[in-house]
Amino acid sequence: MNAFEYAGPTSPELAVKAIGRSGAAFLSGGTDLLNRMKDYVATPSRVVYINDIKPLAGVHASGGAMSIGAATKLAAIVHDKTIEAHLPALHRATAEVGTPQLRHMATIGGNLLQRPRCWYYRNGFGLLGMKDGKSLVRTGDNRYHAIFLTDGDALFVNPSSIAAPLIALGAEATLLGPKGERTIAVEKLYQVPKSAADSELTIAADELLTKVTIPRIRGKNATYEIRQKRAYDWPIVLASAALELDGSKVTSAKIILAGVAPIPWRSEEAEAAIVGKELTTESAEAAGAAAVSKAKPLSMNAYKVTLAKVAVKRALLTIAGKKYWEEA
Amino acid sequence: MLETEQKPPNNRASRRDFLRGSGLAAATTVLTGRATAAIEEARAQDSEVQVLSGEIPLKLNVNGEEKATVAEPRSTLLDTLRNRLDVTGPKRVCDRASCGACTVIVEGETVYSCTTLAVSCQGKAIETIESFDTGPNGVPYAFHQNDGLMCGYCTPGFVTSCKALLDQNKNPTLEEIQRGLDGNICRCGTYGGVFKAALAAAKTMKGA
Repeated sequence: MNAFEYAGPTSPELAVKAIGRSGAAFLSGGTDLLNRMKDYVATPSRVVYINDIKPLAGVHASGGAMSIGAATKLAAIVHDKTIEAHLPALHRATAEVGTPQLRHMATIGGNLLQRPRCWYYRNGFGLLGMKDGKSLVRTGDNRYHAIFLTDGDALFVNPSSIAAPLIALGAEATLLGPKGERTIAVEKLYQVPKSAADSELTIAADELLTKVTIPRIRGKNATYEIRQKRAYDWPIVLASAALELDGSKVTSAKIILAGVAPIPWRSEEAEAAIVGKELTTESAEAAGAAAVSKAKPLSMNAYKVTLAKVAVKRALLTIAGKKYWEEA
Repeated sequence: MLETEQKPPNNRASRRDFLRGSGLAAATTVLTGRATAAIEEARAQDSEVQVLSGEIPLKLNVNGEEKATVAEPRSTLLDTLRNRLDVTGPKRVCDRASCGACTVIVEGETVYSCTTLAVSCQGKAIETIESFDTGPNGVPYAFHQNDGLMCGYCTPGFVTSCKALLDQNKNPTLEEIQRGLDGNICRCGTYGGVFKAALAAAKTMKGA
């Protein structure tokens, strides 16, 4: 790792002041940034440590809404009883992240803003994984890459498993910059990079994510993730669903997939397939099929199409309380 | 750990003593020259935020003892413990937060010390395997009795995770132990022994 200057400010405002120059980076849990620095994929000249800034951490409920400080450790979210009871989509996705050690270190802000895990990116070929003007992803090992938006050049997948439930729940992110605060929908944190010079994150280099706020939830929500190993792994595909129900009839739906596109993937097809229907095994199956109707997998990841379909179906059936896969 | 470490004869230095000696000599050279200037620079203020760079003085609370050293901000907690403070229980294996051999307990919670900066741990309580009870009521003894290791390189990490788990949950089920030790990997595959050891340690600690 290259040498860098280190600042440990005590307030969000001082953190923004300390970052105010090019080549500086905020350090939270460090589980992403420090590893990219060790591999020289990131080489910040200054690191601003934000995890000891007290106002940035903690879960607060007010008037039915819930705000979670950006430097709140994942373990604290998992241990929060209100989140467990009312936001199972978020609770489940957070509880499954990494390992106990990682959940003691990593924060919700860091999870949302971690960089893609694409192995071409992590080995220095840039976000688009290009070499000599050709996509290494398209011709190489793309087993964990995107199945949506694959006509473009960005073939990595968004690495956050917490973004999906937050977007399904309608969460907003608050950003603090030198000119003040702004609040945007969590999905607006992400964009599809058009060139190698673009970032997949919309947040400016001198902006600090300070909190996410989840509005009062009226319906039910759930997350289902599919992974290769039970321990210590990323989901290959994850689906989060938030539904409003009238009896067992779905009146509104938001269905977000992770692990399938360079941004958290909202499946309007799946939403359209389930709204107005009774929530049954058949309608959940149909929503899963609709979710992948426009998928275009790469050479090695057609298996993900099936996983995405099943993840949507099972997230919906978790809400319905019909977890047939857990029965003997 | 369990057996008394074999002491080399007095007139000969062990490999570790030799490395430590030569490292100290080098460090002293640096301190007299470049580092003194660097420490001055580290004290300089950048508006209202203190900015540290170069070799900086660090104070770490390790196993209840205040320890002082000098290291750069990029020095990980693991490397600072092992190379500067001679706390060599935590092991450097993957150095990428992927294996668990470097696990230490900071403020009561297990973390990967290879992916934590030492400078950010000042003022926090750091516990390493060196502080654990090695008697018949301790976790290390349970690993010894239950064949919880083969090559042993992952063992300090497993013992640390296990100790932290049992501190939080006195009566864990096998499933809770498996999930609690999720963050450690054993290449030899002694998981069966590790889980048995954890169950046995829970039982003894309850009785103790």
